[in-house]
Amino acid sequence: MTLPGAGVLPNVITDRATGRRINLLDWQASNRRMSWLLGLIMVALLGAIGYLLAQVTNPGSALFFVSVAGVIGAGQSVVAYWFSDQLALGAAGAREATKDEHRYLVNVTEAVAIGAGVPTPHIYVIDSPAPNAFATGRDPQHASIAVTRGLIDMMDRQELEGVVAHEMAHVRNYDIRFLSMLAATIGAIVILRDLVLRWFQFGAFGGSRSRRGGRGNNRGQGIMMVLLVALLVLGPILATILRLAVSRRREYLADATGAYITRNPEGLASALEKLGSYQGDGLEVSEGVRHMFIVNPLARHNGVDLFATHPPIQERIDRLRRT
Amino acid sequence: MATIVVLVILAILAISAVGVYNRIISLENRFQNAWSQIDVQLKRRVDLIPNLVETVKGYAAHEKTVFEEVARSRQALMNAKSVNESAEAANQMTGALGRLFAIAENYPELKANENFKMLQEELSSVENKIAYARQFYNDAVLQFNNAIETIPGVFLAGPMSKKAAVFLEIPEAEREVPKVSFAG
Repeated sequence: MTLPGAGVLPNVITDRATGRRINLLDWQASNRRMSWLLGLIMVALLGAIGYLLAQVTNPGSALFFVSVAGVIGAGQSVVAYWFSDQLALGAAGAREATKDEHRYLVNVTEAVAIGAGVPTPHIYVIDSPAPNAFATGRDPQHASIAVTRGLIDMMDRQELEGVVAHEMAHVRNYDIRFLSMLAATIGAIVILRDLVLRWFQFGAFGGSRSRRGGRGNNRGQGIMMVLLVALLVLGPILATILRLAVSRRREYLADATGAYITRNPEGLASALEKLGSYQGDGLEVSEGVRHMFIVNPLARHNGVDLFATHPPIQERIDRLRRT
Repeated sequence: MATIVVLVILAILAISAVGVYNRIISLENRFQNAWSQIDVQLKRRVDLIPNLVETVKGYAAHEKTVFEEVARSRQALMNAKSVNESAEAANQMTGALGRLFAIAENYPELKANENFKMLQEELSSVENKIAYARQFYNDAVLQFNNAIETIPGVFLAGPMSKKAAVFLEIPEAEREVPKVSFAG
């Protein structure tokens, strides 16, 4: 099987620190599979929530509830697949770069794309002095890379190449599709949770129970309640922990792939050093897109953070410099 | 019974042969396409040169040797027929342009010229793209050569009359991207 955009990179990247070999084709295939799975999970989860809501309120209309929730989930998946890149770019305040205005950035990106064997992605610039970058899109043919003005000003050519190659690696590895779908799934659960919590606050649940008040029905409703609360509260927490754990491996892999694309690990290492020592204002972006950036837009980079979406910068630099 | 076993084995062999054949062909197409990537950049550089030479002449008309050198390498590149001739001429041109830009260092007014700065950025990024395209080409050649020199491809390479392709040499100096300032 030939994957689009597989280019001529080796199929196996060796992690410089652990010596573990990661098969890039497997990784890409897994990202695509996981993206589908997330779409299905979104439908199933919303369906289940619909079912539970029906049990709590009016079991007779379960089919209706489940259908509506399922359709919403499917719609959400479709929107996430097709439009998440526009949403993410909008949320980050990015606008498309023109060759006249950002000749340097455009040239660097075109060069790295040639090296990576992918079509040149759409290039966006975020007007912020904080250096950062992210990639989005559904596949290498529909990918966008956004960098901040601060990044362009701060990096020399080899460093900028390193950062762009890291983002290009996310594109090639189909990380961008997976992360977009994941963001949409988590977003959907969070919105639902907030809706239901508000609904409980207004006492809609208490009202319906006192009206019907059947035998044994109460106990069933109790179990449903517990399940509902568990699903709604634990769901996002589990999803977040999963995302954090997965992101760190993803970043290491993108660093290694990026270093391979430029054949110059030092460019990315030195760029990461500059990103890590930046002390100015952070980049104001909404929570939903924060995990997509090359370095956490808000973090002060000291110590190890269990809930960090990104591995510690020093660790990433050390891995790049170990040969 | 034995006939069936033989038939099954033959069928498996035939199917694998088709797979190997297709792989060799697609790898060959890949490195040939990779060459066209390099070619695009070489043409772009050829197109940029007359403009560059005109701009530099405006400030340093007497530096005739280097202009001639650039013109010669440009002519050689346009006349090149084979991959190797192109690569050779391209390396010459890289050297000639390097000397041209070194000379430009002595002319502060030229260095401040907007058009010159734009051309310098375009040319150094073309160099950069050529380096990346060449790297991509060599990777593709390596994959192709591996495919036809190892089992099972080696059994088909002869009948398909495929020979190992030649790598492009990367001049050591060229991986150093010229430092260009973009302030302002």
